[in-house]
Amino acid sequence: MTQPSFEALVERHSGEIYAYLWRMLRDPDLASDCLQETFLRALKAFPRLQHRDHLRAWLYTIATHQARTLQRQDARHEARRSELSEELVDPRPSVGRQVMDRESVRRVLQAVQRLPQKQRQALILRRYQGLDYAEIASVLGGSSAAARTNVHLAQGKLKAWLLDDVQESRIPRRRGKS
Amino acid sequence: MSRRLGGRESETMPMVDAVYGAEPKAEWVAAAQARLRGTLASQIPQVFYDVLPRSPIGRVCVAASERGVIALDIGPGEQDFVARLERRTRAGVRRSAGHVGQAMRQVEEYLTGARTRFDLPIDLSWTSAFQRQVLQAALAIPRGQTRTYHQVARGIGRPTAARAVGQALGHNPLPIIIPCHRVLGADGSLHGYSGGKGLTTKAWLLRLEGAQPAALP
Repeated sequence: MTQPSFEALVERHSGEIYAYLWRMLRDPDLASDCLQETFLRALKAFPRLQHRDHLRAWLYTIATHQARTLQRQDARHEARRSELSEELVDPRPSVGRQVMDRESVRRVLQAVQRLPQKQRQALILRRYQGLDYAEIASVLGGSSAAARTNVHLAQGKLKAWLLDDVQESRIPRRRGKS
Repeated sequence: MSRRLGGRESETMPMVDAVYGAEPKAEWVAAAQARLRGTLASQIPQVFYDVLPRSPIGRVCVAASERGVIALDIGPGEQDFVARLERRTRAGVRRSAGHVGQAMRQVEEYLTGARTRFDLPIDLSWTSAFQRQVLQAALAIPRGQTRTYHQVARGIGRPTAARAVGQALGHNPLPIIIPCHRVLGADGSLHGYSGGKGLTTKAWLLRLEGAQPAALP
């Protein structure tokens, strides 16, 4: 089997890694900074890499680590995120997706940020990045079963926290056109 | 990705999906990727190659770095050549007639007899110190003449290393330009050649240069 070159790796995965970082950081500029750092680190480690069959999970591992480091370092982060969060949702409604008001978006962001780190990471990797539990386990450490548990715990908490919102004010399903 | 589950999830998870399932704006992704390409271009060495589809000895592929020619292969498919280059250099490999034009022209002229010596910068970055020594020695063998592996070994001060010299020449990244075909067995036999059609190609090159070793068919 021919091994992919680093350039091919960049070509294939930089888009989804960016999307992941953006979901984690909720800031396009920070996500871009983090993308650079992720691939620079990957480039350095690439020649010494022994097992090249889990390259995607390997990139997610580096990205996860970088996002965490950046979040810790960057004091701007909190401020920037709340400032920008309201324009961070694609206004185009897609099939099965709700159009939401700003207040609901804010609540969702807050609820997800409130999750314990591993649960938040596991949820995003599974539900929005499409990794399977074995891949998540290799990215976050621990077993596949633990990855599954983290996703379920995250969903459970979000349901509980957000249900209050739903009951308080029924979110209009289709605003605009019906 | 969002699954239809019954009961309350149908009320809450779609809210989360609406926020987190959304894709980042296309222009953010494009800008981040463009920036990344720039970041990496300054880190990843670039090498360029081109293909001469027909020559008297078959297809010839030539590659060069910013510093000089790094590889010449006789007869391989383009994909094999690129795969080998990537493995060897870990560089970004791109086809570019412009970057290797001078080298390609000289190779073509050499093979058609219009040129008798190469005037090209050579980049031996991806060879070992010993191999570089051997290749430099081969480079010094004049056109039309031959040496034995033993002579080359003695020439670099390693009289017992004839076999290692043979191996180093067998992995010559720049056949023709570095004339490893001018190195023969102690008995004057052509011994071996890894490029093109093997010994046939070696004999063809020697004949082109007017060398007359005993074993030339």
